[in-house]
Amino acid sequence: MARLIEQFQRLPGVGPKTAQRLALHILKRPETEVQELARALMEAKQQVGLCTVCFHLSADPVCEICRSTSRDQSTICVVADSRDVIALEKTREYQGVYHVLGGLISPMEGIGPEQLHISSLIKRVSKGNIAEVIIAISPSVEGETTTLYVGQLVKPFTKVTRIAFGLPMGGDLEYADEVTLARALEGRRELD
Amino acid sequence: MYLKSLHLRQFRNYRDQEVYFTAPKTIVLGDNAQGKSNLLEAVELLATLRSHRATRDRDLVQDGTASSQITALLERATGSVDLALTLRHNGRRTVALNGHTLKRQIDFLGVMSAVQFSSLDLELVRGGPGYRRDWVDTLLTQLEPVYAHILQQYNLVLRQRNALLKQQKSRTDALAPAVDATELAVWDAQLAALGTRVIRRRSRVLQRLAPLAQAWHHAISSSTEHLEVHYAPNVSLENDDPLLIQHAFLEKVKERAIAEHAQGTTLVGPHRDEIEFTINQTPARQYGSQGQQRTLVLALKLAELKLIESIIGEPPLLLLDDVLAELDLKRQNKLLDTIQDRFQTLITTTHLGSFDAQWLQSSQILTVHAGQLV
Repeated sequence: MARLIEQFQRLPGVGPKTAQRLALHILKRPETEVQELARALMEAKQQVGLCTVCFHLSADPVCEICRSTSRDQSTICVVADSRDVIALEKTREYQGVYHVLGGLISPMEGIGPEQLHISSLIKRVSKGNIAEVIIAISPSVEGETTTLYVGQLVKPFTKVTRIAFGLPMGGDLEYADEVTLARALEGRRELD
Repeated sequence: MYLKSLHLRQFRNYRDQEVYFTAPKTIVLGDNAQGKSNLLEAVELLATLRSHRATRDRDLVQDGTASSQITALLERATGSVDLALTLRHNGRRTVALNGHTLKRQIDFLGVMSAVQFSSLDLELVRGGPGYRRDWVDTLLTQLEPVYAHILQQYNLVLRQRNALLKQQKSRTDALAPAVDATELAVWDAQLAALGTRVIRRRSRVLQRLAPLAQAWHHAISSSTEHLEVHYAPNVSLENDDPLLIQHAFLEKVKERAIAEHAQGTTLVGPHRDEIEFTINQTPARQYGSQGQQRTLVLALKLAELKLIESIIGEPPLLLLDDVLAELDLKRQNKLLDTIQDRFQTLITTTHLGSFDAQWLQSSQILTVHAGQLV
């Protein structure tokens, strides 16, 4: 029991109380259900790796998005993490493909460009059949640095854009904070 | 603005203490190490979210407990506000206004304003440039809360860039592959962009403060003395155009590249700014006697009071931590004349002997003993 609680507690966002609740819940469930969970965990770990093209999580060497013929293979959206791909996919707005960097440049944590999937991105872009690279990285200090860095390297090969930052939908201008408002002003565009 | 009450729980040496302020002036009386300054520190934290005495929140939380709470009821011209700040051993903070927890701490700044004057402030004249930068940063944080965000971002870029320079240094020592020039250039650009915002805001606030400080200095000292407050940014500031400053910033980074590489740290930017005080064109640090240095600090503090009042439209609180006794009668009277009943003032002292009798009469006197009011 103590071992189980300890294991749960290692999961992100789980504290001692939640870990205890999860452990008690598991013990109450029928054995078949628990086996199903254990199998799902093991299989996910064994089968899911990274796509060799875009580095998104994938059970196959090349992920579904990269294989898809209905998607625009000439537009690449660069994100920091696989979670960002999942978030963007939910919008169903984006029809291109992705490139997951696997993190952000942060010298304090010893992460430089060589630790990220940047050279593979340059290789993809340098082949010449990419029309646009969209950088969708959050505007933190590290995100900004990574965006500028990737932008500089990709620019010689194709058009580079970055997503806009500003007010959330349904958000009132008067409640927006100054930092967000300043960014929204910076990224303003002409009304058409 | 008027602070009506303060409630400290597990804060420093206070276990659970409510304080009601019943007069514009409150004298907090007690022996050393009983908790007088802690009371003022709590007010300072509510106003600035910073403490000039502690760098880690765990020092503020009472030993043996996980968190401490500071709550206050503040009367402003626009109505009364409940402020609450929770400090934790692990450094996480929660702030709330009128019972609503705020998502961003920046929104908590600027609600309550205070000017702190303690014996440590003599370091403003005597100490290194870091004291003066902290002073102007604390003032800016209260006047323009967004500055807290800009400064934090700048410091983060600075730490990241220093980490990169350090890596470079160790790499060249080992004759390993050279550094990524593009990565450094990107950090340079960010340092310059954020640094420029810090420089411009510091310059702006000092421009507004300088004439006020000068006028006060004139009034307190003999009028033959002429004070100048001069901002000396590390990256020179010839005009206020952000693009030109950024350009000058990057030029200087280029100039100092070899030195930065050798030392493995960032040598250019507002983290190396200086603020110079001169009296009759002589640096106050070398020239000033003790008394003159006190006059100078007092003039700066009075200027802060007036500047905050003129910008936010309400008189801020004044916190006098053990300084009244250090001022001679003439300066004491000057200070008390200015305060009158307009600025709510909290004063700590170990004895009442040096106070004017009339003053004592109009003040509320609280006695602190071992973290409790008696």
